[in-house]
Amino acid sequence: MATSPDIIIIGAGHNGLIAAAYLARAGIKTLVLERRHIVGGSAVTEEIYPGFKVSTLAYSAGPLLNQVAVDLELERHGLEFITPEIRVLALSPDGPSLSLYEDPVRTANELKRFSAADAKIYPEFVESFSRIGRVLAPLESMTPPAIESPTAGELWNLGKVGLQLRGLGKKDAYRLLRWGPMAVADLVAEWFETELLRATVAARGIFGSFAGPWSAGTSSGLLWQAAIDGHAVAPASFVKGGMGGLTRALMEAALKAGAEFRTEAAVERIEINNDRAANVVLAGGEELRARAVVSNADPRTTFLKLIDPLELEPDFLTKIHNFRANGVSAKVNLALSGLPSFKKVDDKANLSGRVHIGPEIDYLERAFDAAKYGDFSPEPYLDITIPSLTDPTLAPPGAHVMSIYVQFAPYKLKDGDWLTRGAELGDTVINQLANYAPDLKHLIVAHQVITPLDLEKIYGLSGGHIFHGEHSLDQFFTFRPLIGWAQYRTPIKGLYLCGAGTHPGGGVTGGPGANASREIIKDFRADRI
Amino acid sequence: MKNHYDVVVIGGGHNGLVNAAYLARAGKKVLVLERRHVLGGAAVTEEVFPGFKFSVCSYVVSLLRPEIIRELDLPRHGLEILPLDGTFTPMLNGDYLWRMNDHARTRREIARHSKLDAEAYYEYGRAMIEMAHFVKPILSMTPPDPTSFNLKGLKDLLFLGRRFQRLPSEDKYNQVQLMTMSAVDFLDQWFETDVLKATMSASGIIGTFLGVRSPGTAYVLLHHYMGEIDGAFRSWGLSRGGTGAISLAIAGAAQEAGAEIRTEAAITQIIVKDGQARGVVLANGDEITADIVSSSVDPRLTFMKMVGPELLPEEFVDDLNRYKYRGSSGKVNLALDALPDFNALPGPGIHLRGAVSISPSVEYMERAYDEAKYGRFSRRPYIDIVIPSLTDPSVAPAGKHVMSCFVQYAPYNLKEGSWDEKRDEFGDTVIDTIAEHAPNIKDIILHRQVLTPLDLEREFGLSEGNIFQGELTLEQLFFLRPAPGWAQYRTPIRNLYLCGSATHPGGGVMGAPGRNAAEKILSDLS
Repeated sequence: MATSPDIIIIGAGHNGLIAAAYLARAGIKTLVLERRHIVGGSAVTEEIYPGFKVSTLAYSAGPLLNQVAVDLELERHGLEFITPEIRVLALSPDGPSLSLYEDPVRTANELKRFSAADAKIYPEFVESFSRIGRVLAPLESMTPPAIESPTAGELWNLGKVGLQLRGLGKKDAYRLLRWGPMAVADLVAEWFETELLRATVAARGIFGSFAGPWSAGTSSGLLWQAAIDGHAVAPASFVKGGMGGLTRALMEAALKAGAEFRTEAAVERIEINNDRAANVVLAGGEELRARAVVSNADPRTTFLKLIDPLELEPDFLTKIHNFRANGVSAKVNLALSGLPSFKKVDDKANLSGRVHIGPEIDYLERAFDAAKYGDFSPEPYLDITIPSLTDPTLAPPGAHVMSIYVQFAPYKLKDGDWLTRGAELGDTVINQLANYAPDLKHLIVAHQVITPLDLEKIYGLSGGHIFHGEHSLDQFFTFRPLIGWAQYRTPIKGLYLCGAGTHPGGGVTGGPGANASREIIKDFRADRI
Repeated sequence: MKNHYDVVVIGGGHNGLVNAAYLARAGKKVLVLERRHVLGGAAVTEEVFPGFKFSVCSYVVSLLRPEIIRELDLPRHGLEILPLDGTFTPMLNGDYLWRMNDHARTRREIARHSKLDAEAYYEYGRAMIEMAHFVKPILSMTPPDPTSFNLKGLKDLLFLGRRFQRLPSEDKYNQVQLMTMSAVDFLDQWFETDVLKATMSASGIIGTFLGVRSPGTAYVLLHHYMGEIDGAFRSWGLSRGGTGAISLAIAGAAQEAGAEIRTEAAITQIIVKDGQARGVVLANGDEITADIVSSSVDPRLTFMKMVGPELLPEEFVDDLNRYKYRGSSGKVNLALDALPDFNALPGPGIHLRGAVSISPSVEYMERAYDEAKYGRFSRRPYIDIVIPSLTDPSVAPAGKHVMSCFVQYAPYNLKEGSWDEKRDEFGDTVIDTIAEHAPNIKDIILHRQVLTPLDLEREFGLSEGNIFQGELTLEQLFFLRPAPGWAQYRTPIRNLYLCGSATHPGGGVMGAPGRNAAEKILSDLS
């Protein structure tokens, strides 16, 4: 780049890419720096064995904000979503498996095999979550208001949500208020009697969280995910070519708008001059200057690693230290010579969404118990996808790739460390899965285990937290990452955050990137940058 | 009409009595009906064994509203609060943590474990008192209905919002954390000493089916500081003559104001005609008519048993069925020949005059909870012990003692067996646990009374043995207690009110529900 860019973005994760595209489209000269050799951050496709391509980390879109796809013309840049008819197939160790489809009526029919009462109530359950979700959804693309001195616009936006909330009617409004703080295990028990269904729905409330289904507040996780998705059951929202297909399209859009990129450009520190972000220093010593710096890295990495602590108020530093980001997730990715045969699954099409292992609430809770005491679950909760079933480009003919999301694998182990125990985790997962698909082990061509430590070391996720920090009520909306600093700005002038550590948080939604770029453009145009 | 009253109050627990006292003082003709032979409900003193008087259920005072003490002039009616000096936590490694009411000594003691924590403890206390100031007015407020467009409700909501907005930013941060975090996560930010965190977090789980790591448990930490700001007495205390003396003092105030009180007067039915409560039917068949019925018993007994679901809107019945009780605690009361001798600090001493908390580590607390989740009582439970006879010798024969052990977790619903079969095993578990710290306990027990959650239900009318008449979790607090849309002490049956712990602000010997409900009844009458 001949002249200095206006803005440097640290990290080419999907949020960094979205921010870059919006900024570039606004005519702001933007440079994106990525530490790894590929862009995408946690949303990447990597070849784990010749011919086998896996979405190594994130494996389903959050889903992506529709506005982002429209604004950035992602389809034109090659993005293609694959949405199977089935959302989740829940496996049971001894009973029949349960299919939850996109279509509630079809699902209700399926549920009749389990419980007439559940079949009857299911459509209302889905509808009620959609209704409440529609009221919450606008929050996703809103910059959280400043509590101390909200602007008229912020109050107006909040007021609109408030009015819609009241518009829901007493019943739904009270549901929302009551459900928010509830344990998700209680919530599903209020609706359903089939244990397998309860556990499958509840799992979404604890996904990525240091919480079990009996932990208070886990219903809000489910409510929020349902709000951004419009559906109470977790989506199977895949991308052609794997999640890397999404971030490639985002990069194309950003490039087209004039943004520039450098990969293998690890930022070592952000230099501060007169309380203002000045230079970015790369590993190797190269210094880059810009008018503002936007960090797509998580808050802990940004403030505790990239900035000299002396530049921050002690009180702010303490709070960042206390920002909870103890990861609980791991991944096991498999290259398979064929499709495993799952017990009690007749229709292979039912394997094309998510495959859920975690048949009982108590099973999920016990999996969590292990994490509380610093061990990984002997019987973990698994969320499995076989994307090659709907996207043959990912594996050689007849062969398949399988992505296994594993919970709970706590970042901090009581005995040993992840350098030595990764293989053990991989074995645990494969053995557990083999209980459901006995021929699995014979089909494995190659496997990859990504421990929480790998998440930190390879993907730069502090504490191995896939959402850059817990999605708990005290770290949500105006409190994400910290109360007073939820508007993508930071105590350092000219330094912004645009990653999942800001509202609306983790998952491949694009919300943080889109919201942050809106605030940055505002500051840029007002000459505050 | 001789048998006609302005208000009949169901239940002579502390809230029912407070309710009656306020109504009587306003000139209403009030009758309180108590099923048992003693007054007090769960705030009761009974001579369970000759010479030994126990605060059978509730055993310490911390939250009794000072305005109630003042307005009802309770000291004149015999209320006397004696300070309970500190908390002693013995540890299995032979060490202990002993927090006293003396700040300087507590500081030195904590510094023995961690100098940083000793510093932080003071800061923490100050922050908590700030927070308690914020929460206090909410306790005596009738919860607004957030879904209604009614002006008063909007004003109340705005009041809360403004109040929050005006907090200094540091306090906002703390307040949000307190409302949403787990006790341990919250305390982790302040302290490093495990036993300190374990003992402090215990107050967050009392009476709930939650563990110290469950979100939502941090809030209750505040209650410990509520007493301090009230200034009327120390944060924790014992009532002379046992907890029942509080109820008797309130009853005295009520009677002086003209209220009638009858014991052994069980109610079988609330008379409802045309959707309106008209009185009650007693177990002996007597009918007592009243303009208003105010029930201090929990919603399950009030509505499912005394009214009948067929007279209630379907949605309300659904809400009542969802309201969670699931008691998680038991009580073991011991008559002792001598004092227990703790390994960690042998001999008698003032450490026995406060609470003795069996909460040696956070992991201990969490494992106790884990067992309850899967339907069995904790093999090593959290126990909060007090020996009131050291402070108030009137409750035991000379040289002997009474010891009250509050035990958690003891889930109402057991996975295997029934509480009638498991009662003794439960009692033995509690004694064994104490014996790990004070081995002489087994030799000095003269009598023991074991109260399981099932006993709390049978004896004291607490559904599922919940000591707070329903869990104090966020989804059952404030405008959601006991049911969405029915948090203002009124019920779907006209002239039937609730005034017990199942209404805002909930359980504990606070008296606030009884007082708030009386205010509501009086304003509806005028």
